[in-house]
Order: sequence, then C-alpha cells, then structure tokens
Amino acid sequence: MKRGKHQDVSTEPLPGKAAPDARQLRKLAGDWLKQRRADAELSQADLAARLGLKYYTFISQVENGFSRVPTEIMGAWAKELGIEQAAFAKHLLRYYEPELHRLLFGAESK
Amino acid sequence: MSVVAFERKQNTGEWSERELSTILAALSAATAPGTGREWETGVTEKGDVQFYLLGPLPDQACELCVSRVGRSYILEDGMGRLLFEHRNLDLVALHAKAAVPSTSWLMVRAVTLWCAVRSALHEKAEPWLVEGEELFVQFVPQLAAFA
Repeated sequence: MKRGKHQDVSTEPLPGKAAPDARQLRKLAGDWLKQRRADAELSQADLAARLGLKYYTFISQVENGFSRVPTEIMGAWAKELGIEQAAFAKHLLRYYEPELHRLLFGAESK
Repeated sequence: MSVVAFERKQNTGEWSERELSTILAALSAATAPGTGREWETGVTEKGDVQFYLLGPLPDQACELCVSRVGRSYILEDGMGRLLFEHRNLDLVALHAKAAVPSTSWLMVRAVTLWCAVRSALHEKAEPWLVEGEELFVQFVPQLAAFA
C-alpha cells in the first residue's frame, strides 16, 4: 500500500537532472512554499484563514506537491507570505512551467 | 446532578484499512488499470491524513483530495474547491465518485456513436446522392434547351 512521503523542507535550486518530471517539480515548489510560510511564521491554518479558505487542507495539498497554487490566489498567497507578487509568481513558474520560465527569463536562476 | 463533559477523542493518525477500502471502492472505476490514475496518501502539518487521487501522466496532478480533519471528512478538488464535507465517509466517498472527471468513457461513447451514425448515413445516402447527381446531369441540358 502506498503512503505519502514527507520530505524535508528545501530551498535548493532545481536539481541538475535533465528533465525532472512535473510531480517532482511541484514537490520542490511545495517545499519552497513551506519554507516561505515558516519564515512568515504562519501555520497552514493561519495561511488558509488569511486566504479565505474554510479548511487548511488545500495548503497541505499544495505544499505536499500534489497541486499548484491557483493563479487566482497567487497574489494573495504572495502577500500573506510577505513576498513581492511578481517575484513569487516568477519563482513558482520555474517549477510549474519550467520551459515557459526559460523562454521568458532565460537561464537566470532567480 | 452535574454532567461532566468529556471531550471526544480526536480521530487522528493514519488512514485505517476500512477508511482506505471505502474510498478505493468508491473510486475503483477511476483508478482502474488503463485510466492512468494513481493515488497517494499524506498528512498535513497537524497530522490530519489526506488521500490524493492523481491524474494520469505526465502531470499527475491531484484531481480529488479527501482529508480527515477531526471527525469530519473533507472532499476538495485539485484547485482547492470544497466539494463536500461530512462525518460519514461513505457519503463523502460517494461524492468523490461522482466528482471524478469522467469524460473519458462519455467521450468514447459519443465518438463511437457519432462514427456509427456517420458511417450509416454515408452508406445510405451516397447512392442516393450519386443517383440524384446523375439524373441532374442528364436532365439539365434538356431543361436548359426547353427553357
């Protein structure tokens, strides 16, 4: 029976693999989001409440790498984490749409 | 007489076999071989358990998520939309079953039906059209001369 795995929070840049799959990249995005939330001293429940979500379970869904931050709440998510919205969206694009990120921003890492 | 209110024990910890069986039974069609779907479990930072139904490769994004928070079960989609919540897992599993994107078999049936109708029409109508065209070609010069 499969069980979810919990990985340590990591802020490492994208791994050197040639083509990491979408799921791995979402997990890296989730780890980054978890670290940023911890930096903002918010619990998953705190963040969910600030985003107007009834339950905090979606925050966990995203941080565990199974879903993306929806575009429509990306700005609010950034604001609650104290991150500039464009920088937040740009950083997430590295994980969610790496090829689009490369086309838009080249090989720059940040 | 005074009544002492005991706080009910929170339902935490891993999914029980019965809970997983209930969810998987409801999603048996969605997770059948050939659908490309998989499932995973995880936990929130508070230790509440989550069940994720993942879509096919290459994205394998979460299509549905069932979480157990306290004594309630929460059903959300992959965008965080709350679809259903109840203390009865059987009910939540039924809603999960209904919420699974099931365009595949409907699409297959619709396309098959469309192809069958189109093929039948083509077979029946083509001789009529050819015959009509021949008649038309034959009579037009005569009609033109008459006019």
